[in-house]
Amino acid sequence: MSIKTQMCGFLGAIAASVLFLSPATDAQAEALTFTDIAGREVTLPELPDKIILGEGRMMYGIAPLIDGNPFEKIVGWKNDLVQYDPDAFRKYEAVFPEDAARMIDFGNPYAGEFSIEAVLEAETDLVLLDVGNLFKAEETGLIEKLGNAGVQVAFIDFRRNATENAIPSMLILGRIFGEEKKAAEFIDFYIAQMRKVTNIVDTIPAEDRPLVVVENAAGWQTDFCCWSFGPYNYGRFVELAGGKNYASTLANAYSVELNLEGIIEADPDVVFGTGANWKEAKPEVTSTLLGYEGDPEVNSDRLAALAARPGFADLRAVKEGRFHSVYHQFYNSPYHFIAIQVLAKWLHPEDFEDLDPEATFKELHDRFLPYDLSGQFWISLKN
Amino acid sequence: MSEITPPSSEALLLVRGYKRRSMQRVALVLLAFAVLAVLVIVDVTTGPANLSIWRTAEVIFDRSIATPKEDVIIWQLRLPVAIMAVAVGAMLGVAGAEMQTILNNPLADPFTLGLSSAAGFGAALAIVLGWSVIPGVGGLFVSVNAFVFAMLTSGALFLFTRLRGVSPEAMILVGIAMLFTFNALLAFLQYGASEIQLAQLIFWQLGSLARATWAKVGGCFLVLALILPWFMYRSWALTALRMGEDKAAALGVNVSLLRIGVLAGVSLLSAVAVSFVGAIAFVGLVGPHIARMIVGEDQRGFLPLSALCGALILSGTSIASKAISPGIVYPIGMITSLIGIPFFILLILGQRKRHWQ
Repeated sequence: MSIKTQMCGFLGAIAASVLFLSPATDAQAEALTFTDIAGREVTLPELPDKIILGEGRMMYGIAPLIDGNPFEKIVGWKNDLVQYDPDAFRKYEAVFPEDAARMIDFGNPYAGEFSIEAVLEAETDLVLLDVGNLFKAEETGLIEKLGNAGVQVAFIDFRRNATENAIPSMLILGRIFGEEKKAAEFIDFYIAQMRKVTNIVDTIPAEDRPLVVVENAAGWQTDFCCWSFGPYNYGRFVELAGGKNYASTLANAYSVELNLEGIIEADPDVVFGTGANWKEAKPEVTSTLLGYEGDPEVNSDRLAALAARPGFADLRAVKEGRFHSVYHQFYNSPYHFIAIQVLAKWLHPEDFEDLDPEATFKELHDRFLPYDLSGQFWISLKN
Repeated sequence: MSEITPPSSEALLLVRGYKRRSMQRVALVLLAFAVLAVLVIVDVTTGPANLSIWRTAEVIFDRSIATPKEDVIIWQLRLPVAIMAVAVGAMLGVAGAEMQTILNNPLADPFTLGLSSAAGFGAALAIVLGWSVIPGVGGLFVSVNAFVFAMLTSGALFLFTRLRGVSPEAMILVGIAMLFTFNALLAFLQYGASEIQLAQLIFWQLGSLARATWAKVGGCFLVLALILPWFMYRSWALTALRMGEDKAAALGVNVSLLRIGVLAGVSLLSAVAVSFVGAIAFVGLVGPHIARMIVGEDQRGFLPLSALCGALILSGTSIASKAISPGIVYPIGMITSLIGIPFFILLILGQRKRHWQ
């Protein structure tokens, strides 16, 4: 079923891209109409010039589409990128120092600190929001208030149903920024990289798929484990990479709180957590500090400490060295195919011997991003 | 040498009745102890891992025979949680009982007086803004913040009692004002929190035994061992207080001193409990009421039974939270009320006489 859903997603996306591409030539002149990820029809009188990002991490999706300065049309954002992925923020800052500095922090769009007045003051044309917050945006009256003021709202999604919505979200971004061609190019790359994994996983029988425990933000809470994903996000990535996600067997929820004893009893084949450079915003975290400034030595110590936590140390997966950590922010980014390739190698090392996620990631940077790859984005336990 | 007048048969009956009631009280407390012991055993023997009762018992009595897996499951995961449930339940039960006593109000407990909300706000400051009230406490700073804020709140309540002419009713109202103030401040922080912070915050507020460790268990028992004997020692004065402030004063009790001392003890109990396991409603409020329905107002029965009722409720909750869906952790604060309330209502319906005058 999962393969079928995946196929439908791809075919739908390809069909959609054809529809999107055909009227693209004269998009500049006339009104721009598209359906966003929430299924709302959005009409803009012309290409928007001033855009606010409901999440700073939407830059992961915008940067690959624009050859010049990706910040040109962005007037403000939420500071989540600055806070939780400072490494990536500094990458942008290094290339576009003035733009990163002039960015207005509009705060959390769903919170009181988000000033609609300031949005109007900035003469904003469009506010991009994450579809996971659709309900909140409706409930707080944000969409209506912005709409009354003539500011359009569009929803994209790289998190909730990341693999299903990444392509349509990139298409929407391509239209909004008038970069349909570049969007198609990125999607082409995305599909090719996803296919490298799914084509082989399709041939792996169900009984050969290892049981995987995902720990969401391992070490974020120093005294508690384990947050996990149900069949969404990293939980879904595990399935696409040919594994069985443990938390999905327990609950059909985005976020699941696992009992450590249950994990010990389930005796998973592979355990991995997510990590990012949270140390700057939250000094006490014990997570791995993966990202553009990730230091292999620091991270290997931190991973070893996570593996040594009571209850983890005796897990078969830990003893046999199948305990890993991967960059958390892939969970909210169209680059999640990198994570899926990394997972595929962890789960089926023999089948994916020739797959090189490092090379894929480098190619992504060389072809689409304004800065070079650096740092460390995944790590495995060395016994 | 004067002749001893034989006691009248009425007096004899009175004495006999008193002795019988004392015996009953002791028997009830012992019974509650036995039930609690059974619950703890059930708590330790249940869980997602399939370990038999006998094997579990063997491992508890002789840790050296355990396989690494059994050692982790029983000694590091199940036992601290099961014992923490007992300790925290007892702390909240005692705190609620004595708050109701000194404030002469059936609705008083650490939760309704804002201590839990204050602790929640302290934790939220740590979780959302990363602020540590006391620097240099490392990863413990969420608990430390919660503790400091709970203590500050009871300090404020305490200062309030020093104001002239302040009645217990006024103190309750101040407590409720605290509750709403901290809830509002908490909501303010929640509003701006990221999703991962929000998840952490909600999880903290609903309370969880999952983060129990032996060190925390030890801390809880230390506080209990300090405060419970003192409360027991003052039990006559506290019983007298429940008959009315004037009567207690007439019996030679320094009411305001007693009230302040007990408030300090209660604050420490609830602040430690809340800072370790998060805000757990219901236990501190209802545990004492159940105890009161069973043994009445006499503190010699009421106090230990309140502790035991609190422990029983939380122990039962710990079992229930595992039974709902093995492998998933449910916050206990969510369940305490759900499983406790039907039992509480049944008790109320079964009672003929009023227990709060």
